[in-house]
Parts: sequence; C-alpha cells; structure tokens
Amino acid sequence: MSEPFEPKIVGLLCSWCAYAGADTAGVSRVQYPPNLRIVRVMCSGRVDPLFVARAFEHGADGVLVAGCHPGDCHYLSGNNYAEERFAKFAQLLDFFGLDQRRFKLAWVSGSEGARFAALVAEMTEELRALGPLELKVQ
Amino acid sequence: MTTSLETQLQRRAHDLLAEGVVELFLGYRQGSNPLRVAPFVARTPLETAKLVWNAVCVPNLAGTLAKHAGQRIGVALKACDAQSVRELLKLNQLERSRLYLIGIGCAGMADPEAITKAAPGRVTGLAEDGPDLVITTADDVVRRERGTLLLTKCATCIGMPTDFCDEWLGEVPPTPPAIPAERFAAVQALATLAPPERLAFWSEHLSRCTLCYACQTVCPLCFCKECALTLERDHPRRQAREPMTIFAYHLMRAYHLADRCTGCDECSRVCPEDIPLNLICRKLEQDRSQV
Repeated sequence: MSEPFEPKIVGLLCSWCAYAGADTAGVSRVQYPPNLRIVRVMCSGRVDPLFVARAFEHGADGVLVAGCHPGDCHYLSGNNYAEERFAKFAQLLDFFGLDQRRFKLAWVSGSEGARFAALVAEMTEELRALGPLELKVQ
Repeated sequence: MTTSLETQLQRRAHDLLAEGVVELFLGYRQGSNPLRVAPFVARTPLETAKLVWNAVCVPNLAGTLAKHAGQRIGVALKACDAQSVRELLKLNQLERSRLYLIGIGCAGMADPEAITKAAPGRVTGLAEDGPDLVITTADDVVRRERGTLLLTKCATCIGMPTDFCDEWLGEVPPTPPAIPAERFAAVQALATLAPPERLAFWSEHLSRCTLCYACQTVCPLCFCKECALTLERDHPRRQAREPMTIFAYHLMRAYHLADRCTGCDECSRVCPEDIPLNLICRKLEQDRSQV
C-alpha cells in the first residue's frame, strides 16, 4: 500500500507581514495543512529567484513567497522589487514548462491569519492534485 | 571582395598598431581547418598579417575583448559582436575611450555544419565569389549561394547599433527597421505547446546536458568573477546530474541573462550536446521587445 501523496511546500515569508500573518493564524488557532515549511526572511525583496530554483532542486513540490501588501513594505519598496523579479521568473518557469501553480507570490499582512491559512490550504490542494514534481530522464 | 576586406582590415590594424593608437588588435586567425577561425590578438604591426576575414568568422569577440579590458585595444566587429560590446559598455565592463571599434560590413556568417552537409568530405578550402561560396573538398568543388548556408541568427540579423563604431570597412548593411518576425518563429512554436509538452521538450534536450558549463564560459555577458550557479567538478550534485539540478541551472542562467543577452548564439554553438540554448536567448529577446 502506498502512502497518499503529500506535497512539500517551502514558504519564504517576510518577517514583518507574512510571517506575522502565519503567527496570527497560529495564535488564533486557525487550522491549515502542515505541508508548508516556513523560512523567515527579512523582506520579500531579499528572496533571490535562486532560492526558489534551489528549493525545487532539493525536493520541494511548490514554493510560496509571501510579503507585505504593495505600499506596506517595512523597507518601503522591497516587495516592488520582488514583484518585478518574480514576474520575470514565472515567465521563465512557464517557458521551461514547469507548472505555474508550483510557484506562488502572495501578499499577506500581519493581521490576515485566516487568509494565510486559506492560501496555504488552497495551494496544498492544488499541488496534491498536481502530483509530485518529478522530472523524468528521457 | 573578401580578400580586399581582409587586406583592408590587415592594413588598418597594421596602421593602428604602428601609430600607437592601440596596443592590441583583436580579430580572427585561421583555425585548425578552413571552416574554423579563432580569436587572435595582434600585438605588433607584423603580426597583423595573420588576421583573416572570411565567411566563417563566427565566434563573438566581445568576450575576448572583455578579457583584455584596461588596455587600449582595437577590434573588428560584426553587427552581433557590436551588440554585445554595447551591452558590456552599458554594464561598465569596458571603457569606451580605450576601445577602437572597426565595424565590418558583414553579409552574414555561414554555418560550418551546413557547409559540411552541403559538401561532404574533408573541406580543404573556402572562398567567396560574389554572392556565392565556393567550397573545395578533397574530391569536389561545390558552389552554393551564401544565403542558403547562413547561421540562423544571421538569416534574421538585427543589424549594427547606429553611430557606434569609429570607422567602417566594407559595405554598411542596412539596419532592418524592425526585428524580423521569423527570428522568433521557433520560440513562438514552442510557446503554443501546452506546458507539459514544453516540459517534455526541455527534458529531452536538457537530459543530455553534462553540466560542462561551456555555455556559461563562452557567454560574453557572463562576466561575474565567481558564479553562483556553477558547481565544482567533484560536487556530488554536479556528478549526480539530477534533472532538476540541470533545470535549475538553465533556468537561473536565463534569469541572470534576462536583461543582457544580445542573442549572439555562442551558447548553442559551443554546446557539445547541441542543446538548442539559442531558444532561451530568443525568448529573452522576445520578452524584452514586448516591454
């Protein structure tokens, strides 16, 4: 009997908003799937697309990058940089044929605990349906 | 006509070196066979006799130029090389005041592989005759129109940056008013596929990748002293060659080149496994042209 597939998701969360949002979700005891592995970063602008590529390389089935809403960045414009960077990066992911649903960029504020939980639940469901990221050697 | 262009180039290089305008002159010398040329730096006026200019001067000189940055250097540029040099200048990797740029009227370079296909057997000579190329092999002489043997990048050349070179040799080719649409035909075809088919396409090609990093070494715009993407030869991840490791490398290489790649196609030329890396370059170019 094989175990049902559980996706591994790496979450790169900005310390000021998304990470606080995850904390809010925890404090208010909102349930969300345990598939997310959280890495706290100081700002979504700190996240190099290389981190995402490396996460996939080391076995993640999906990657979630979350930061402050536009205009709310603790460092004023970090999330704008992140947005531009990942728009380009997502285009390239698509060009190589990697499913767009495996990578998500989202804005979550510190008070949006329930929204964060919903986001993670939604992404987990999507990836569960999509199956593991397995690139076959031809 | 070619001999005259070659002679003109040799003469100009000789004069520039003799007058002390430049310390070095960068061009091509004949390689190991008639279909190969290699970048060559002339240091004395006498050495300029070794410079060649023929129909297979394919390598991009911008990378070699960047290695000699800091010295006063003259260089012979085709349109695509000039695009790369302009990008290097933009990124502050070269100093314009130390360069002497000679633009060469280039009618497009022939693909050595197409030539070998057109004339089977060992090629012993290659000459230009008007619009035709005359290929001499051990037991035959083949005449082909130059246009049928061009490299794909040359067939859809985007031309020389305007007002860029210090002087011109040969005919100035007209710069096309817009990027020819056929340049993106292959990328367009790939874009119409469904993502899983695209993934299959790239898996098939990239599974041949040996992570030799020739594409990164040859790229004139990859100038970081230390690369975040390359792995040591004995690194377990490089040895295992997991598909995702290879994907991640090519994905990140594309991302790093997103705003600089000038489409010189050097990466696919040097790839020992013939992976169509130029498709990635075209994709980046297409995305930029749509901004």
